[in-house]
Amino acid sequence: MRTRQLLARTASTIASATLVAAVAACGASGSSRPSNMITVSDSQCGSTWHVAKPGWNTFQINNQGVNGAEVDLTDPANGAIYAEVENIGPGTVTPMSLDVGSGKYEFLCLFSDSSPMTGPAVTVAGDVKGTPAIAPITYNELIPLAKEYQADLEAGIKVLASETDTLKAAVASGNLTAAKSDWLTAHLQYETLGDAYGAFGNYDTEIDGRADAVGVTSAQWTGFYRLEYGLWHGQSAAELTAVARTLDSDVHALLAWWPSQQITLSDLGRRAHEQIENALEFQLTGHDDYGSGTTLASTVASIQASRTLLNLLHPLLAARYSGLQQVYTDLDNLQARLEKEHLPSGWWVPVSSLPTQTREQIDAACDQALTDLAPVASITEPRNAAHDF
Amino acid sequence: MTSESPSPQPAPGRRSFLRGVAGGVAGGVVAGGAAGAAAGYAAHRPTANPEAEANAAIVTGTAPAVPFHGKYQAGILPHPQRATAVVSFTATAASRAELTDLFQTVTDRSRFLTAGGTPPAVGIGGPPADSGVLGPTVVPDGLTVTFGVGATLFDDRYGLAALKPAHLTPMKPFPNDDLDPAQTDGDLILQLSAGNADTVLHGLRDIAKNTRGGMQANWRIDGFASPARPTGTVPRNLMGFMDGISNPSVTSAAEMDSLVWVQPGAAGEPAWTAGGSYLVVRLIRMLVEFWDRVDIGEQETMFGRRKDSGYPLDATGIYATPDYSADPTGDIIPLTAHMRLANPRTAQSTSSRILRRAYNYDRGLDEVGDLDMGLVFTCFQQNIKRQFEAVQTRLIDEPLVDYISPFGGGYFLALPGVTGPSDYFGRGLLA
Repeated sequence: MRTRQLLARTASTIASATLVAAVAACGASGSSRPSNMITVSDSQCGSTWHVAKPGWNTFQINNQGVNGAEVDLTDPANGAIYAEVENIGPGTVTPMSLDVGSGKYEFLCLFSDSSPMTGPAVTVAGDVKGTPAIAPITYNELIPLAKEYQADLEAGIKVLASETDTLKAAVASGNLTAAKSDWLTAHLQYETLGDAYGAFGNYDTEIDGRADAVGVTSAQWTGFYRLEYGLWHGQSAAELTAVARTLDSDVHALLAWWPSQQITLSDLGRRAHEQIENALEFQLTGHDDYGSGTTLASTVASIQASRTLLNLLHPLLAARYSGLQQVYTDLDNLQARLEKEHLPSGWWVPVSSLPTQTREQIDAACDQALTDLAPVASITEPRNAAHDF
Repeated sequence: MTSESPSPQPAPGRRSFLRGVAGGVAGGVVAGGAAGAAAGYAAHRPTANPEAEANAAIVTGTAPAVPFHGKYQAGILPHPQRATAVVSFTATAASRAELTDLFQTVTDRSRFLTAGGTPPAVGIGGPPADSGVLGPTVVPDGLTVTFGVGATLFDDRYGLAALKPAHLTPMKPFPNDDLDPAQTDGDLILQLSAGNADTVLHGLRDIAKNTRGGMQANWRIDGFASPARPTGTVPRNLMGFMDGISNPSVTSAAEMDSLVWVQPGAAGEPAWTAGGSYLVVRLIRMLVEFWDRVDIGEQETMFGRRKDSGYPLDATGIYATPDYSADPTGDIIPLTAHMRLANPRTAQSTSSRILRRAYNYDRGLDEVGDLDMGLVFTCFQQNIKRQFEAVQTRLIDEPLVDYISPFGGGYFLALPGVTGPSDYFGRGLLA
């Protein structure tokens, strides 16, 4: 084995040197040959390599190992990542492209079945700007945030459960005017928790499911929207009492189940924008308006849900994402625009009644927030950093 | 520098609705090379078989870049390309400064998209900068981006009222129109045209993605230009007739100066409009099922041309000039024939000629299962009243109106060209 590896390494070095010479001879022409082959395996993470010149470089990551690999190009000083290629199958060659600026670089190889390795470091001299390196966020950094998030949501579900208690009682008493108001309070509390990205599993279908798959007359349809449909379509208190009771009991079941859940760490960043993506798709289109005309209020609640996650991630994001302050500004702008449609009665202008220009202003504010939110999930994806090993 | 070893240009400064990852790498495109872009070939027809050359480039998606910088926008004079998208936007920028940012962003993105190149790498800092629809390196494919403004942009939102182009109004409804307000007019108009639909859609997505907060799409229609059938003739519309045979000569600077380019001073136009051109878009449904039940003689007398050859009914040759003076009572070409009304070829009608640039559209089926297809009629001119409206007024109640239904579109001013790397769309208006 050892001999073979040595041979392979030698061959790779020679090939690389030959190509560099060829590239130099024709002035960095667009040769499609692998001028920057980085061979990785369970015993090496790129042998001798160098950067022919700063600027756009493509490295060909050649996984000669028997396992899948992730290869990062990192700054050896602090483990910050310039480029990352995940899920490199054994026996495959995958390009990694980046704009190489001045600085220090080393490859970090992560195999599914063996310890991480780093390769030789390379320094690019001068003062050239390139793709910036971003310090990875590790699993260890996210775990306490996930616990905090879980506790925050547990407190929120408790509030929700008392609100659905009230709602259930109002429906049972036959006071449907109070029930409508209680419905809005409880539903917005639920939306504030942020049900995006399957946080609540099947409970979300039971508590906040749409009629899409089953139809509005189906007995299978339960939850807030079912109750909204009934309250705003003239259904009687007698008819809705069971609906409100089921909703309340599902919320209590969620409350009992939630503390046992393990939060997927990568979901923290994803949910920060998924809240707003869901609002754009289902609330700002009016899709989820089953009669109350309060989807703009639901969007405001989703903004709150997104803010909860951003605030949690803020200490990790602040140094890594220069657009973070803009995200907060965008969310403020969106919320301020939405609040203009909040009526003195406490109810809201339905999306279907918005003049085109108003709808476009709201959509523009939402789209801008989403555009600026998008990097959050990439940056906060949990990664193992070189300095962890 | 080749397209395989580009070096990223510095990303433009962050703007309120310009993503941090925006920007891109100008690739090694031979702009304005020997043959020019597909659009370029077409614009200079006839030369030594440019069409075959352009067609080959379109099929392979390798049409060269159309130079973006110039006194005039590059998408105005060329013949229609194979694919186009016409999109009207509402400006949602909150202030004049944000509107300026918007126009600068549209400029930056258009400059990159028309030249092609490699989008920047973002590392782990966000989702990819580019949709990847055109592969890892953005190819120009003859893309042109034409950007214009509508009358409503000059309301009280941005303090631009005093700078409104003299002839810019909301689109005038004509007696046979059935205009849908949701598909009519708009603050801004964007037309992307290229050799292939993927290039058009890639460009649209890129511009929309980088301008999320600044403008919202209002209505959109996609169009296509057919190949000339038979080869060497003129592309046909979906009624089967050749379309846009008679046009001013785009190679005649004198004709363009008198018919297409806005000339400030003379007509009370503000100075900033110099190099601009009024764009009229008319979305015209063709009732093709009905049309296909009409006999050929009636079809041909409605247009005034032979369907198969494109010849005027009184002549032999596509580009032959009909002799209306020899046919004063319309025995051969009826007085109500579309082409005779549109361009009577009199001394008085000369100044009403327009640069006609029509595309076909196909939107599937309407709500009762009829084919929804027709014409994305676009034309450029110096003065809408003197030109398009004069022509359209002559066409009121022409026999063809039974078979078509104009339902949308708008009046716009296509902005002056972007003259160089530091210039931007509408600088004269906004600076």
